[in-house]
Amino acid sequence: MEFLLENILNLIGFLVGLAIGIMAYIGFRNTGSPTLFRLAIAFFSISLGFFVIWSGYMIEDFLIKSGTIERGIQTVGIVIQTVGYFFIAFSHSIKSFFPKSNYFRSVGILPFFLVSTVQLEHIFRSISFILLVYGAIETMLSYRDNKNKGAVSVAVGLALLAFGEFLGWYSFVFPESMLYSISMTIKIGGLIALFIPVSKIPLKRIKFDDDLDKI
Amino acid sequence: MGEYRTQMKIIGDILSTTRDDLQDENGATVTYLIRKANISHSRISTILKTLVSQGLLECGDSQGSNRYKISQSGREFLEAYKSFTKFADNFGLNI
Repeated sequence: MEFLLENILNLIGFLVGLAIGIMAYIGFRNTGSPTLFRLAIAFFSISLGFFVIWSGYMIEDFLIKSGTIERGIQTVGIVIQTVGYFFIAFSHSIKSFFPKSNYFRSVGILPFFLVSTVQLEHIFRSISFILLVYGAIETMLSYRDNKNKGAVSVAVGLALLAFGEFLGWYSFVFPESMLYSISMTIKIGGLIALFIPVSKIPLKRIKFDDDLDKI
Repeated sequence: MGEYRTQMKIIGDILSTTRDDLQDENGATVTYLIRKANISHSRISTILKTLVSQGLLECGDSQGSNRYKISQSGREFLEAYKSFTKFADNFGLNI
């Protein structure tokens, strides 16, 4: 059950991320907007992250057959997704996410040499959680200005992804419980909520035009 | 205090004015666009030059002054701009 849910989640995540990423990239090509460029990077990263984890499960299922996904692949997928969540949060004006002083920078990379991949996975899950919560709050606040109902759906989507990420991280305390499956289901709901408003954007009349790149 | 507008928003406002809110069929004068787009003369001059060189606006001469009209490429750009403004709005962002 958990394996099936994980596969469905990763496949939906890959497809939704890819669709939104392509849309943002077309927007960037048409308008030259740096915001759309950052959104394209964000969603391509999220899509790639889900794809890497999905590939991990497929390789395990058809080739290795050990009954559990390779921890390293899962961690790589989560790291790539975190990069995507970072770019969503960055688009909401996170100006100085990384420490500025050289001392703190050098200390900042130490954990990568001190912790195992399992711990790394939890570190990146918690970073994803923070970035998703930030993105959800900022998106919800933007609703006050533009009264765009789509923003509510995106905010709910990001919040559900954050909650799912939290439950996924917390489930390592109760590994045999339903928590992980519930977290998967919540994340699938979050991805669907993200896609609903974006799917309503009419793109029929938009085409690439290289001459417009310089604007 | 006025709302902060990105360069893209200003371009969108100028193109919208030249498409939907022209003084007459000859096009809009610089003074008219300054008033409608609420932007300084020096800034609008640079933007208009870029928009004309990119083929989004057409510049004609009428009664001794430059007149600006939106081109077909400009209309397509404006459609794309409006669609992607809505797209970015969904994420609480401005393009």
